[in-house]
Amino acid sequence: MDVKAYIESGVIESYIMGIADEQEVSELMNLAAQYPEIKQALHEAEASLEAFSLANATPPPSAVKKAIFELLSSEFSPIAETPEETKVVSFNFRWVAVAAVILLVVSSGLNVYFYARFKESTSQYEALVLEKNTLQANNQIMQTKSLDLYNSMQMMTDPAMLKVSMPGIAGKENSFATVFWDTKSRDVYILPNKLPQPAKGKQYQLWAIVDGKPVDAGMISDCAGLCKMKNIPKASMFAITLEKEGGSAIPTLSEMYVAGKVG
Amino acid sequence: MEAVQKYSESELVLLLKQRSQQVYSYLYDNYAGALYNTIVGIVSDTELANDVLQEVFIKIWRQIESYDAGRGRLFTWMLNIARNASIDTVRSKGFQNSRANSELTENVYESAGSVETKTDTIGLRKVVAQLKDEWRVLVELSYFQGYTQDEIAGMLQIPLGTVKTRMRSALQQLSKQLKEK
Repeated sequence: MDVKAYIESGVIESYIMGIADEQEVSELMNLAAQYPEIKQALHEAEASLEAFSLANATPPPSAVKKAIFELLSSEFSPIAETPEETKVVSFNFRWVAVAAVILLVVSSGLNVYFYARFKESTSQYEALVLEKNTLQANNQIMQTKSLDLYNSMQMMTDPAMLKVSMPGIAGKENSFATVFWDTKSRDVYILPNKLPQPAKGKQYQLWAIVDGKPVDAGMISDCAGLCKMKNIPKASMFAITLEKEGGSAIPTLSEMYVAGKVG
Repeated sequence: MEAVQKYSESELVLLLKQRSQQVYSYLYDNYAGALYNTIVGIVSDTELANDVLQEVFIKIWRQIESYDAGRGRLFTWMLNIARNASIDTVRSKGFQNSRANSELTENVYESAGSVETKTDTIGLRKVVAQLKDEWRVLVELSYFQGYTQDEIAGMLQIPLGTVKTRMRSALQQLSKQLKEK
């Protein structure tokens, strides 16, 4: 087949201008598929017609375009015109929002947790402060007692101190107390070694027997070591009775616990 | 033409199928003038040509799926839509009534010439006008008026084979002249 003659026959032009009949069209399609030269000639003829048409364009009135776009306005793809960024941004924003909510929840949870820990620590701290104060107070008491005992020991070992042992009288043999009497200052000290716990409203009272008569030598209160009593210039004997709180003027002899002679 | 972006033909087709308004606008800006020239060349009435252009672009938009790149360029396809729509309009009853005294069927040669002179022509019409008469009438009847070669053979009382041969020669000559322009 004479390809060149076919190309120059004008059938290609007749095809691209829409004039060729069905038989000519199918023949051309077959030959174009077989012969690259024919295909090439077809492309060139189309390009030439297009170039010529574009170069000889007649601008249509602008109203036509407007009318077309109004008519098709509902058919345009919304996505194709609006950049996809808006979608991406909203997507990102959603994730940021989710992250923010998660952080808020976590933060709130931590607030509760740390507040509980804070309360716990505070109460522990307060308990420790209280304990420390108690211990300090106890320590103070112990120091005071210790000092009293030390002082008492110093007094008891003083050579001027006269010791008067007061064993329990008949029926009160378990009881026992000791009087320390300063022979210089004539101050009397009592060490209630072993006396039953007095009943409520009752108190032990020390008596000095002076010239056969009982003289009040002071009430025995709860004291560490030696309890300082009254100054007794002269006495032949000491005794302790259980009296009503605050003491009595005359000893209740039936309630005598201990007694001891001086010397 | 303010379109900054340039599209290849396959990109144009793909984006049109994706219903891109931007690409459709680009297509219009670049090709409406060329198609309008063809439409005016056939319809000659400006008002009517505007309607046909609108119809053509709506067809391009709605029928882009039927475009087959294997059979030719996008422009060739669009040009054929424009040409067919124009010929259909000219042949429609309303149009023929408005030109009731159309002498087309009585004197084809004269008609061909008269249409040519009525239109303030540029483009293809101008080139066709420069062809010798026996070629010009064939192009006029087939391309501008849409008659088949069979019909033309009947109208001109010449054998179909002769019509085909002459037609090809005419188009070959036309093609050469287009390239010279």
